[in-house]
Amino acid sequence: MSADVTGANPAADPVGVTRAEHFATVGQQRHAATLGMWAWLLTELLLFAGLFLTALILRLLHPEAVQAAAGHLKFWIGATNTVVLLCSSLTMSAAIELSRLGWQRMMVGCLLATASLGALFLMLKGYEYYADYEEHMMPFLARRPYALAEQPATRLFVNLYYVATALHALHLFTGIAILLGITWKASRPGFLQRHQNWIEVYGLYWHFIDLIWIIAFPVLYVVNR
Amino acid sequence: MSSAGTLHGDAAARDPHTPLPTLDRPDDYLHAQSTLRSWFLTTDHKRIALLYLASITAFFVIGAVAAGFVRLALVVPDGAIMTNDTYNKAFTIHGVVMVWFFLIPSIPATFGNFLIPLMIGAKDLAFPKLNLTSWYIFMTGALFTLVAVVLGGVDTGWTFYAPLSTAFSNTWVLPALIGVTIVGFSSILTGLNFVVTIHTMRAPGMTWFRLPIFVWTHYATSLIFLLATPVITLALILLIAERAFHVGVFDPAYGGDPVLFQHLFWFYSHPAVYIMVLPGMGVISEIVPAFAQKKLFGYRFVAYAAIGLASVTFFVWGHHMFVNGQSDLASLAFSALSFAVAVPSAVKVYNWTATIHKGSLRLDTPMLYAMGYIGLFVLGGLTGLYLATLAINQHIHATYFVVAHFHYIMVGGTVLAFLGGLHFWWPKITGRMYSEPWGRISALFIFIGFNVTFFPQFILGYLGMPRRYATYPPEFQLLNVLSSAGSTILAAGYLFPMVYLVYSLWFGRRASANPWDAKGLEWETASPPPPHNFAGVPQVPKVPYDYPIQAPETGSHHT
Amino acid sequence: MLHGLGPADRALLRRRLRTPVRTFLALLALLAMNVALGATRPFEQVWLVELAVVAVMAAIIILVSMEVRHEPPLVRLFAGVGFFWVAILFGMTLTDYLAR
Repeated sequence: MSADVTGANPAADPVGVTRAEHFATVGQQRHAATLGMWAWLLTELLLFAGLFLTALILRLLHPEAVQAAAGHLKFWIGATNTVVLLCSSLTMSAAIELSRLGWQRMMVGCLLATASLGALFLMLKGYEYYADYEEHMMPFLARRPYALAEQPATRLFVNLYYVATALHALHLFTGIAILLGITWKASRPGFLQRHQNWIEVYGLYWHFIDLIWIIAFPVLYVVNR
Repeated sequence: MSSAGTLHGDAAARDPHTPLPTLDRPDDYLHAQSTLRSWFLTTDHKRIALLYLASITAFFVIGAVAAGFVRLALVVPDGAIMTNDTYNKAFTIHGVVMVWFFLIPSIPATFGNFLIPLMIGAKDLAFPKLNLTSWYIFMTGALFTLVAVVLGGVDTGWTFYAPLSTAFSNTWVLPALIGVTIVGFSSILTGLNFVVTIHTMRAPGMTWFRLPIFVWTHYATSLIFLLATPVITLALILLIAERAFHVGVFDPAYGGDPVLFQHLFWFYSHPAVYIMVLPGMGVISEIVPAFAQKKLFGYRFVAYAAIGLASVTFFVWGHHMFVNGQSDLASLAFSALSFAVAVPSAVKVYNWTATIHKGSLRLDTPMLYAMGYIGLFVLGGLTGLYLATLAINQHIHATYFVVAHFHYIMVGGTVLAFLGGLHFWWPKITGRMYSEPWGRISALFIFIGFNVTFFPQFILGYLGMPRRYATYPPEFQLLNVLSSAGSTILAAGYLFPMVYLVYSLWFGRRASANPWDAKGLEWETASPPPPHNFAGVPQVPKVPYDYPIQAPETGSHHT
Repeated sequence: MLHGLGPADRALLRRRLRTPVRTFLALLALLAMNVALGATRPFEQVWLVELAVVAVMAAIIILVSMEVRHEPPLVRLFAGVGFFWVAILFGMTLTDYLAR
């Protein structure tokens, strides 16, 4: 029996959404949840757009300094991290497909894999920060000498890199925390009969954080080299 | 509900320990439950609206007291009453509190929260828990700002311009910045909730062109919440990083550009003007037809104008920066586009006026506020055209002309609409009528007091008195004293409603479901409404604003 | 885990995962292209190509991974409107910086 492996409940419809009291229909509720997440992603997009705009303005104001600063970023760690997040997007997509099939156990596995890949990203990011620290590339630390001190304008871009990556890491960290909470709930019996759309709606957020990194990596690391 | 049910049961009736009032307690949203927990953990949009109403009223008082200090200091020209530092803090507290903690949440978070589900025939907003969360986020942000005020204040002005706020100010800028950043998330979540609710929760038959204009303007406002707020969140994050870690992006000492902060700041803060104004326009669009007993003139144009304003407003922010060194091309573009704002604004004003024309007018308190609004908004809007003109702007930039202009919009517009709406929906919200004579008297006080306070400031600004200074040349004293005197009349006008409205909660006449003979679904249900708003699925009328007197172009058969 | 699946279930799984895996491979290929361009910097204006590649990646994620192509028009509008507002932010700000 495959049902044992997948964790699907053979009785009744294995997948569905329980209607909350203030909605008239389940369809309305699902639509509201999806639309709500998209509305949230709109604001997230504009938030990061401000950062990318700042990066662009710095590039326009100080092209040489920005290039000098970007040359010190850990290009290969950034590239590896992009691959890590692409993998996590794959496992997230797989989790969504499995949730639609009602294969709960495999879905939980995919969710855990997604969270782990997110954690791997954060660890690599942490290592990158550490390497930057060792190379005296943290100009915002007032007491620590700065490697490019003779070019004051470089500190603008380097500091912006920290603001941007920290803000993204904060989103990823929150994302992992929420994902683990959902995974914990999703491992309970009957979850997919009651809240299947949580996985889909959450998946949008996860893909979006990946998307932001996929834009941030070239904007910070690649185009200014 | 289950607790109320058992209280009504026989066991409770026989129990001598059950206090008598609970036996015949009404089952509307105000009385269905009465524990503290049922208020602070409520997910009912109507109760959350009242939580907001209480908090923003408190902030209004704080902001008004600060304004009182500012006007007091300016009675004398030589700064003898207040030192420069104290004066700077007074106007900063006034600005920060009034803009971020009163005007922006004012109408959306209270009336929007209360009325949108009622007007579209829904049981609640789409995300009730998120709605409560946004109030707690608001209060958390407020706490940070209050800490900044209590510890000794902030002196940067409400705009927090770099590098003053990042490198030079020795006041409590950080907690204030953090507070304003946090409060932004509460606006975003409120806007998100409204957008999703209006899209997905409308009752069967409630098409977009049957929605009250109030809902349209709140939809437009919510779009601004969603699209503009994150940009200032980012600007403030960079500012916090700048002040705490000397990031340098806005610091000219390292080659950073303070003008970039202004771009990011005004990308939000100009559209924020429409966050403050659009909901007020929605209120006026409800009041005017009700008190003219006439169908709203040009319904579709008023609706389109709301969306038009919310879009055009994103293209004009640079008119705050004409003298800040931005490129001539940018100034030219922003100036030209700013004129475009006048078009949808005028569409609205003309349509309200046309609604009043040949209507059957009742000059009750809400209508007095609405008429005041229209007049003051026209004056504020027209002086905005002066400011949008590049050459004239050079002359009156950062003078009291600007102060007068935006107070005509913010106070003459938003605050009057807020008070008008408060009186209009007070019977619906509380189930009680307020004292009509006192209502009219205070509306009159506010209108007169407002004009005496702010009209002299147009003249002062035109004559060249700059804003944000504690001292001024002695020849300006007469107009300044006049302005300060006016503010005391205004203050009295604000105080009266606080007394008679609270009084009415216990001693006011009971309100019927529809005391104004107004149209709209919110008047179909009881006053105050039951916890889930409607007894059944509400019947949506075929036309919005179906008042007895029809607009001329549709042919009048009802007169 | 997979070896417990019957042949019908395996076929179903393969069919369902076809799109995510193909999307993943496409994104990986595009990333490889950008990394190669970034590492070698073959010509001066290479940033234009790099940004174009990013735009394609973003479009794939939004349309395919986030399933916007299967969503009703309203959700598509929401997904698109943000980029329009980003364009306003960039465009109007650049009228200042590019003309100073």
